[in-house]
Amino acid sequence: MNGHDHGGPAGYGQPGASTGSTYVPPPAPSPFPPSPQQQSAKPRTSLAVALEQSRYRLMVTAAVVTTVFTAISVKLAMATMFAGGGEPRQHVALEVDNTTTNRADILDRNGNLLATSLVTQSLYADPKLVSRPEEAAQKLVSVLPELDYKDVLGKLVGDRRFVWLKRNLTPKQQAAVHRLGIPGIAFEREERRFYPAGPLTSHVVGFTGIDNNGLAGMEQGFNKRLTEDPGTPLQLSIDLRLQHVLKKELAATVQEFSAIGAAGIVFDVRNGEVLAMVSLPDFDPQDPTGLNPDTLFNRATLGVYEMGSTFKIFNSALAFDSGKIRVSDMFDAAHPIKIGRFTINDYHNLHRALTVAEVFQHSSNLGSVRMVQQVGVAAQKAFMTKMGFTKPTGLELPESGWPLVPNPWREVNSYTISFGHGISVSPMHTVAAAASVINGGLFHKPTLLKRKAGDEIPTDQVVSRSTSDMMRRMFRFVVTEGTGKSAEVKGYVVGGKTGTADKQKGRHYQKNSRMSSFLGAFPMNDPRYIVYVLVDEPKATAKTYGYATGGWVAAPAVGRIVKQIGPLLNVPMVDENAPEILNSTFLNAAGSTNWQQTMPSVTAPPPSKGSTVASFPTQTKPR
Amino acid sequence: MKGKTWLFWGGLIAAAGGVLFQTSYDVQDLEEKLAGLNRKIIQEQESIQILKAEWSYLNDPTKLEQMAQAYLALQPSEPRQYMAMDMIPMRPGDAVQPPAQTNPAPLPPMVRAPGTGAPQVAAARIPAAPNNSGAGGIVPVSMPAGAALAKPLPMDKALERAPVVVPASLPSSGSLADPSRATRIKPSALVPGSARAPAEKAPDRAAGKLAPNAPTSRPTELAARPTPPAPAPAPKAAAPAAQQPYQPKPTDSLGLLVARLGANR
Repeated sequence: MNGHDHGGPAGYGQPGASTGSTYVPPPAPSPFPPSPQQQSAKPRTSLAVALEQSRYRLMVTAAVVTTVFTAISVKLAMATMFAGGGEPRQHVALEVDNTTTNRADILDRNGNLLATSLVTQSLYADPKLVSRPEEAAQKLVSVLPELDYKDVLGKLVGDRRFVWLKRNLTPKQQAAVHRLGIPGIAFEREERRFYPAGPLTSHVVGFTGIDNNGLAGMEQGFNKRLTEDPGTPLQLSIDLRLQHVLKKELAATVQEFSAIGAAGIVFDVRNGEVLAMVSLPDFDPQDPTGLNPDTLFNRATLGVYEMGSTFKIFNSALAFDSGKIRVSDMFDAAHPIKIGRFTINDYHNLHRALTVAEVFQHSSNLGSVRMVQQVGVAAQKAFMTKMGFTKPTGLELPESGWPLVPNPWREVNSYTISFGHGISVSPMHTVAAAASVINGGLFHKPTLLKRKAGDEIPTDQVVSRSTSDMMRRMFRFVVTEGTGKSAEVKGYVVGGKTGTADKQKGRHYQKNSRMSSFLGAFPMNDPRYIVYVLVDEPKATAKTYGYATGGWVAAPAVGRIVKQIGPLLNVPMVDENAPEILNSTFLNAAGSTNWQQTMPSVTAPPPSKGSTVASFPTQTKPR
Repeated sequence: MKGKTWLFWGGLIAAAGGVLFQTSYDVQDLEEKLAGLNRKIIQEQESIQILKAEWSYLNDPTKLEQMAQAYLALQPSEPRQYMAMDMIPMRPGDAVQPPAQTNPAPLPPMVRAPGTGAPQVAAARIPAAPNNSGAGGIVPVSMPAGAALAKPLPMDKALERAPVVVPASLPSSGSLADPSRATRIKPSALVPGSARAPAEKAPDRAAGKLAPNAPTSRPTELAARPTPPAPAPAPKAAAPAAQQPYQPKPTDSLGLLVARLGANR
């Protein structure tokens, strides 16, 4: 009983220990035999261990829970109170001026678009997701007839995860494809370069590849600028209207004389801006590939040619600027010059001595050589270097040709250079240098970017003011009484110089393939613009009596161009025979600049008949 | 007490939760709206860009020239069609203040209501003008012709009181309806003989080329002239009425200018 009694509490003791951890076994059962005491000591120790364990577990659990919850609350506090209101993404209104494209527009000087980026959608496919390629291909071809069924099917059954099906869909095409609802086919937003003016400015603006990287023209030259600052358009100095007139007249000339090409430049002599630049044949910048690569060639800047008689401009300027030669000095132009194996002769030999004015007027090679003989080889080399004929023009186009300059510069080279052979420069070189000769002697680096109103124009005085003044008279003289008569336009005192160069094929000059050019400037009393036309290999026609020289081919074109662009450029019309115009432009064959002495009949301007503007009453008043 | 505290806090929490809930939905709404607007802006920008490109494309000079040749009777402009500003002769009456100073309106309105313009200038130039001429001067120049015709009387009176000999053939309200006719009649009819006399020895600029029917100046000068022997403003007054093959419409300011310069003769 006792044992039972004893065993009873012991039996109940364990559940008691499990319920209350503070239960201490009473010391009362000490009189009991040790065996039950041993029995009870054993559960007591295990109980203590269990208690200990559970206490540790509780502590660990509490610690973990506390840590986690603290972390959560800290994070919560940070997220709600300190981390910018906890907005995962903040919506900001767009700036209205922002452009949506990644490449800047190109504008002409009046703000007309020459190149812009339009957002289009391109169609691509993930062939893994296309469940029925045949059906999909059939559907696609039905809405995009320009795709080839086999080609599309081949793309759709391939292993790749991405294939382009068609780039640059129109919105209508996109809607049509969208409506088909083919799984695995999607659109990607892309940009497409678009040239509203088309071929008109192709050589200036250039073109881009399919990934919108500039590959030619200003697109290449300013690739970095266009992509880095897409918001600000790039404004060129080109005037679209002048460009059109220039191209139209060049194309007409090319057609009339069955030429293989032509180049033309309109140049502002006061600040070096290129107002128009055309090279024919040209290309469509929208689709420049797959064409005749010849069309990509820019004759106005990349092509270097022997300029022919146009170089007599620089020869004369050199002669005047050296101070050794005056305009009335006489030079023998009757006897051919022999040097080495060459014989230099004139196109039309006049068999007499000529003044400098007449050398320029009749474009005499012999006279030019005599002039340079007097000036010297070193002076000529220095002058041509000053004129920029020994390095590229510095125009912003990547297509800038290196001139072909004789090295070493021997006497024979100086002879041929005096009339434009033996040195090859681009038309842009010629125009920029000629501008400096007539604008008062200031050389401006040619540029295709519009100059801002207040900007300082980098200039370089290359010839003296008096030289420049005399050169203006010489220019005018060629048009009034020389080889360039057909460039005359009433009211715009045009001046200029013709040029005809035989083309070199291999080691020999060809008799019947030549470059005919005319460098015109107007108004000569205060030159503002140069119009340059170069025609490559013109063939003579019956209308020109078998001639294909600069005076017959290029000068009329310049005249037509000046007639059309004069009003656009806001050049005031003047009466060529008004005294103050003659004062600044007159020159005669003897080299005299005094028009009153030589033309006594025109002390007063002639009555209204000759001039187109004379029908107004104020005409008789001196202006 | 305890229950009330619980109620208070509970209510506060519920209210805060509600407000937060509401705000969060509002913000979400606004965000969606903003995203929509941004999308629209981009869309608009893209379509503006497309329109710009299309505009430039359609304005390609080559294309325009072809179209002009096909549909218009216009010729390419020639240099002789342009002239410098100083080529245009001054109006004959240099002494007279140009009416442009008193009304900046271009030619047409002045032509349309010559009677209203005149007394206005008269009032401006002669401070002691009768008050009913002042009433005429109030009539705005830009007023349509019908309104001007409604009260021709003040103008007539103004002209009568002006120190000019007004002939009996003063254009009535009926002739005012035809401004070109009015301007043609006026110089010859209104200029007194004493004023016409110096016209014969008029300055050389009147040497025939200047069509004297410049409609802007005539009435003004007439009304404004204080004394008869003024510097003759009406050279060869009788000539133009007879030999004008083409009379530009009064609204055709360019045509008027051309006619004034005699270029179409």
